Amino acid sequence: MRKLFKALAVTALAVTASFSVAKAEGYPDRPISVMVSYGAGGATDFQARIVTMMSGNEELLGQPMVIINKPGAGGRVGWNWLATEADADGYTLGVYNIPHFIAQSIEGGVKYSADSFEPIANWGTDPAVVIVPKDSPYNTIQELIDYAKANPGKVTLSGAGLFVGHHIAALQIEKAADVKLAYIPTKGGGAAAMKAVIAGEVTGGINNLSDAYRAREAGNVKILAIADDERDKDFLPDVPTLKESGYDVDDSSVNFRGIMARKGTPPEVIEKLAKAVPEMFAHKNVAAQMKAGGSPIKIMNREEVAKMWADRQTYLAELLKDLKK
Amino acid sequence: MTASTHRLQHLVPATLIFALAATVTWLSFTREPADAFLFPRIISVVMIGLAAWNFARAALGLARVGTGLSTGLLIRTAPGVAVTLVYVFFVAKWLGFYAASWLACVMIYALYDPTPHSSAAWAKRILVPAGFTVIIYLLFNTLLKVQTPRGIFF
Amino acid sequence: MEFLGYFGGVFEPVAFMLLLGGTIGGLILGATPGLSPTMAVALLIPFTFQLEPTQGLILLGAAYTSTVAGGAVSAILLKIPGAPANIATALDGHEMARKGQGAKALHMSFMASGVGGVLGVLLLIFLTPLLAKWALAFGPSHLFWMAILGVTVIGSLDSRSFVKGLLSGCLGFWLSMIGYDDIQGAQRFIFHDALTGGINIIAALIGIFAIPQVIEMFAKGRVPSSISSLNVERQSLMASLRETFMYKRALAIGTVCGSIIGLIPGVGGQIAGLLAYDQSRKFSPDRDKFGTGHPEGVIAAESANNAMVGPSLVPLLTLSIPGSPTAAVLLGGLLIHGIFPGTDLFDNHPQVAWTFINSMLIGQILMVVFGIWISGWAARVSKVPTPIMAGAVLVLSLFGSYSIQQSMGDVYIMLVLGLGMYLLEKFGFSAAPLVLGLILGPIAEANFIQGSMIANAGDGLIDYFLTGTLNLFLIAMVLASMAYSFWATMIHEPRVAASRAAQTKAEAAE
Repeated sequence: MRKLFKALAVTALAVTASFSVAKAEGYPDRPISVMVSYGAGGATDFQARIVTMMSGNEELLGQPMVIINKPGAGGRVGWNWLATEADADGYTLGVYNIPHFIAQSIEGGVKYSADSFEPIANWGTDPAVVIVPKDSPYNTIQELIDYAKANPGKVTLSGAGLFVGHHIAALQIEKAADVKLAYIPTKGGGAAAMKAVIAGEVTGGINNLSDAYRAREAGNVKILAIADDERDKDFLPDVPTLKESGYDVDDSSVNFRGIMARKGTPPEVIEKLAKAVPEMFAHKNVAAQMKAGGSPIKIMNREEVAKMWADRQTYLAELLKDLKK
Repeated sequence: MTASTHRLQHLVPATLIFALAATVTWLSFTREPADAFLFPRIISVVMIGLAAWNFARAALGLARVGTGLSTGLLIRTAPGVAVTLVYVFFVAKWLGFYAASWLACVMIYALYDPTPHSSAAWAKRILVPAGFTVIIYLLFNTLLKVQTPRGIFF
Repeated sequence: MEFLGYFGGVFEPVAFMLLLGGTIGGLILGATPGLSPTMAVALLIPFTFQLEPTQGLILLGAAYTSTVAGGAVSAILLKIPGAPANIATALDGHEMARKGQGAKALHMSFMASGVGGVLGVLLLIFLTPLLAKWALAFGPSHLFWMAILGVTVIGSLDSRSFVKGLLSGCLGFWLSMIGYDDIQGAQRFIFHDALTGGINIIAALIGIFAIPQVIEMFAKGRVPSSISSLNVERQSLMASLRETFMYKRALAIGTVCGSIIGLIPGVGGQIAGLLAYDQSRKFSPDRDKFGTGHPEGVIAAESANNAMVGPSLVPLLTLSIPGSPTAAVLLGGLLIHGIFPGTDLFDNHPQVAWTFINSMLIGQILMVVFGIWISGWAARVSKVPTPIMAGAVLVLSLFGSYSIQQSMGDVYIMLVLGLGMYLLEKFGFSAAPLVLGLILGPIAEANFIQGSMIANAGDGLIDYFLTGTLNLFLIAMVLASMAYSFWATMIHEPRVAASRAAQTKAEAAE
């Protein structure tokens, strides 16, 4: 009996082993799960669903990508899971948000860092903008900051969470203008932060360009400034950058979104993904849908993303160390 | 069930819940940052008060609601619960969800089916769960594209 | 009356086929444990890429409506609420099914859903601009008081033991705090890696309701397969219809509760069903029959959770603010077609907006028709012998809890909570208050923390939470609800019990 059991176990092992060899060769032979660490319906989730829609095309990956949402604690829950529990076989990928996950790993209390993941490709950028309700007395960023200088800590600004792009932008503004602001992180991400602004619960807010653009189109908010190096020519040509307005804030809070894999994924799989995924992002159907949704596209390949990650890592480490003083 | 075993039985969960409430209270008041533990502190204080009240009622024999456990109940449920635990905690991931689910259904059917063990009965016990597993496969894998963990048999 | 002009769009062949398909598909997805309406709608988004904007929205709207109602099927037949919205349906619905009234419970739940749903959409059509202001009036302090109002229901939700009901609620509250705290990012009570993401409400629901069911089936021992797990009596449609409309009070309370709660962004439909259930019990002369398979419970819960659908879209369509996770997914469905909700939607794309809203109206009616048709199958499901049923529910629980986030951790949490709940139930604790605590915990906490941050920058805590008409109104409701619970448990029930005991004594003497 024991012999039989042993024989069975050996066969089982052999079968599993042969499967894992086959995995890298015929990759992908089944649908690929893509983990988004924010809830369904948020900007990241919505864009991820659009940019992955062509994955099933034969000339791209030939298998569909399926979005799984693991929201919680500003993304920490999802990235923790990807770094520690996901299978590193190329069938479970994740969406990254820079600067969020790097800033969180510098802050500590999480099980991941930039070294836990392999970048694949970037699909878009979404700069943070400063907004106020439409009936707010402030019409320019200077007016708002001047008021904040006169009343330290009285200006409340809503944002999507702690150590996400919005929070970084708020910290940078505080440092550049030497003011004290009350940053209010919301549960429920950018949409909840936007609601707080429109309903007048807070003085203003920091939100994604795409969401703020829509809210302004609907006549609900005023956009005072954009936290980027240049103005946005496509959607908000009339909104000044913070730098133009006299506050030394650069583009380090700009939210980069793209796809990554867990460290330890077979190199052949990464290679295949690094080639196919940027092509998938560049597909004309994807471009059309992204434009319709008011979401700026910026495609970067694996090397470019790796460099961007490294740059942000050094920059954010310094910024956060500075700000904590 | 006699009155004294009833009282004894209610004391066990009451003690466990009190111990849990005490642990939660201790953790809430010792962990940092204090800001994040404001709500746990409020809840744990209410919880430990209620748990103490509940314990007192159980100790005085005032806990009337709930039938408690009987030996007969434990004997009847034990095999099923054992299959459930092994299925969910070990076999599902090891064999793959679909094979494990089929096996678990066959086991439960065989354990709780009173018809004598004839080959016709066994054929039914194997085929009915197989049919059900196929429906589950079509729903979750084919339609919803849920990627289950890779076990030995898919 | 502008909307009447756009009914034609709903009946175009392609649009109508999509409406039909969305409704039937939604009912099936909704009846699958673990698939909440939000997930079902998110799953359908890729299908809308190839469609015209209006057609895509019709599909999503139909799916939203019918998944909410479809959840009642598994809640009634298997006691697995497919989504938080269906918890209250399971309480009396499953008891009815156990008494052989499964078909009747399903008929009534779909009819009540239809009534609530149609009225909810009509509110959306006629009162949108007015309601939009109302939706925005709810800030963190008000949402906090709303959650506390929900908490006061906990004590009365379990009528068997007041202490144990409250203690179950506390347990639920504590469970909701496990994991990363959402605002500060601190780690709390993480005893095991599976808990880092916190306890997923849907996995918890499956465990807490379905696993005790499975063990109950084991406890029956070896039952001959000629005895089926549930006995379903035939039920004529007319009789169901007549009876549904007999309970006008439950229908009215359900619809009103559902519409009001649906409007408030951030609370959503999760508690609409439970609050309506509790309110209609408080106002019912048959108060004591609730929980034993009383149709009023099913009607109140189901009319509430479908009444919520229409108003929950008000903040989305007028202000572009998604009030619930499902509305957020629908927003995505609009955006990919370049349609921005808000004034732009009604001014520049009226055919999209009104055709969508009208299709939800027609969808509600189709949902009732097909729901009743599916109820016919209930008789077949219930002929399944107990051991097969036990296995099937167990397998569905595993797949359901896994597919929420494709995580084994959720599966383990599901089973551990389920086994724990079975033991707790044996000792007089009950599931409903625990689940309510689990749902309300995060709402109360996040809004309190957020509110206090805003208050500290402004007028201070006391001013922020205790002044203003809406705050005072909600506080008054909280006090009234607490007073009622106190009266019911401390004064009314002992008196009823005493008079009942006296009556039996007198009868025995005769």
